[in-house]
Amino acid sequence: MDKNEQPAVMIVDDEEMVITSIRAFLRLETEYAVHGFTSPEDAARQLETNPVDVIVTDYLMPKMNGIQLLGKAKNLQPEAARVLLTGHADKQSAIQAINEIGLYQYLEKPWDNAQLLLVIQGAIERTRLLRTLRDKISELDAAHSNLKDVQTRLLRAFL
Amino acid sequence: MNDQPEPAVKPSRQDLLEQLESAHQRLAEAHKMASIGRLSAGIVHEINTPIGSIFSNNEVILRSLEVLKKLLAESCAASVAPSQEAMEIIETMATLAAVDKIACERISGVIRSLKTFSRVDDRDIRKACLEGIIRNTLKLTGTIFRRRIAVETHFEELPEIECYPGLLNQVFANLLVNAGQAIEGEGKITVTTRRENDFVHVSIADTGKGIKPEDRGRIFARGFTTKPIGEGTGLGLAITREIVEDTHGGSIDFESEPGMGTTFHVRLPITQTRKSSPAS
Ligand SMILES: Nc1ncnc2c1ncn2[C@@H]1O[C@H](COP(=O)(O)OP(=O)(O)O)[C@@H](O)[C@H]1O
Ligand SMILES: [Mg+2]
Repeated sequence: MDKNEQPAVMIVDDEEMVITSIRAFLRLETEYAVHGFTSPEDAARQLETNPVDVIVTDYLMPKMNGIQLLGKAKNLQPEAARVLLTGHADKQSAIQAINEIGLYQYLEKPWDNAQLLLVIQGAIERTRLLRTLRDKISELDAAHSNLKDVQTRLLRAFL
Repeated sequence: MNDQPEPAVKPSRQDLLEQLESAHQRLAEAHKMASIGRLSAGIVHEINTPIGSIFSNNEVILRSLEVLKKLLAESCAASVAPSQEAMEIIETMATLAAVDKIACERISGVIRSLKTFSRVDDRDIRKACLEGIIRNTLKLTGTIFRRRIAVETHFEELPEIECYPGLLNQVFANLLVNAGQAIEGEGKITVTTRRENDFVHVSIADTGKGIKPEDRGRIFARGFTTKPIGEGTGLGLAITREIVEDTHGGSIDFESEPGMGTTFHVRLPITQTRKSSPAS
C-alpha cells in the first residue's frame, strides 16, 4: 500500500446512529476515508478485497459479534489495527476473547471523541509501520534469495 | 385459625406467622432487586450507545458552527454566495440533530419502561390490560437480548383482567429473563396470549437448552437454581408461582425438551372471585 494513500477507517456497529456520529466527527477533523457498516457480515466481506488501516467495531451485534469479526479481520488483514468499542454490559464476555485476537485498543461507550481520535491516529501509524516493515522484510528476503542464487552459481563455476 | 392465647414465654403462632410473612416479603423484594440488577446491565448498554452519540454530535455541531461562522464571514466579505463547503456543513448538522432526537427517544423509552417495572404503588387490584403489561415487560427485558434473541408475539384480543399489575410485571419479567438465560447464542422467544373461557392463557416459549428430566420436579422450589452465583437466585419461579396461583388463583405449568426449548403456560382468571390480598 502506498504510504501517502488516504488512511481508511472501518466502523462497524449495528446502530446506525453510532456510525453517523463517528463519521461526521472524522469528516470534520480528518482526511480519512470512513467506511461504515451496520452488518458485521458485510464488513467481513469488504475486508476480503479492500485494505483498511483500522477497524473499530461494536461487540454485541446480530449474526456475528465484534470479536468474531476481528478474528476474521486478523486472518484477512493481519496488519490492520483492531479496536473494540463496546457498551458496558459486554465487558465481561469481551475481555475473555480479547487476548486471542490481539486488540490494539478497547474503548467503552459512551466514547470520548478526542480519545477515539488519538486511538485511531495511533492505530493508523502503527499499521503503516507494520506494512512498511513487511515490505522491507520481503525485499530483504528477495535480496537474500538473490544472493543465494549468486552463491550457488559461483560455487558451481568453481567446483 | 386458632385464636386461643398462647403462653407468653414462647412467641405466639401469630407472631411466628408474621415473622415468616415479613421474611418472605423481604426475600421477594431482594429477588426483585436482583432481577432489576440483572436487567440493568442490559439497560446500561442500551443507554450508553445513544448517550455516546449525543455527546459526539454535540461536539461536532459546536465545532461545525465555528467553521461555518468563518466560512460565512469569508463569503460575506467577498460578497459571494455561501460556499459548497458551508452548505455541506449545514446538511451534516441537520443530520446530527435528527440523530440526537432518535437517541433521546431511545433513552426516554427505556426510562419509561423501567419506571413502570419498578413501580411500588401498583399494589392494588384493578382491571388492567394484560397485553400492555406484557409489552411493557418485553420492552425492558428486550434490552438485554435485543440483538441476540428474536422476540415474536401473538396477542389475541383480550378483555381486561382483574389483577395486581405490578406483580404480573414480575411474573413475566421472571419468565422472560429465564427464557433469555436458557438461550446460548442466538434464539427465539415466542409470547402468545389467548382466551380460554373465563381465563386468559399466556405462553412463553423459548428455543433454549431446556430443563433436564431430573430437574423438572424442583424448578419451582425456593432456592433451586442451576445458574452460577450472580446469575441466579433460585427464587424467580417460586415467587412467580405464588403470584400466579396464590394471589391470582391462576395456574402455571411447563413443557420442556432438553436441547430444544421450554414453554411456560400461565393461566389467569379474568375476574377474581376470591378477593385475596397480595401474598408477596
Ligand atoms: N425457560 C427455562 N429454560 C430452561 N431452564 C429453566 C427455564 N426457566 C427456569 N429454568 C430452570 O429453573 C431454575 C430455577 O429458575 P428460577 O426459580 O427462575 O431461578 P433462577 O433463574 O434464579 O435460577 C433455573 O435455574 C433453571 O435451571
Ligand atoms: Mg429466574
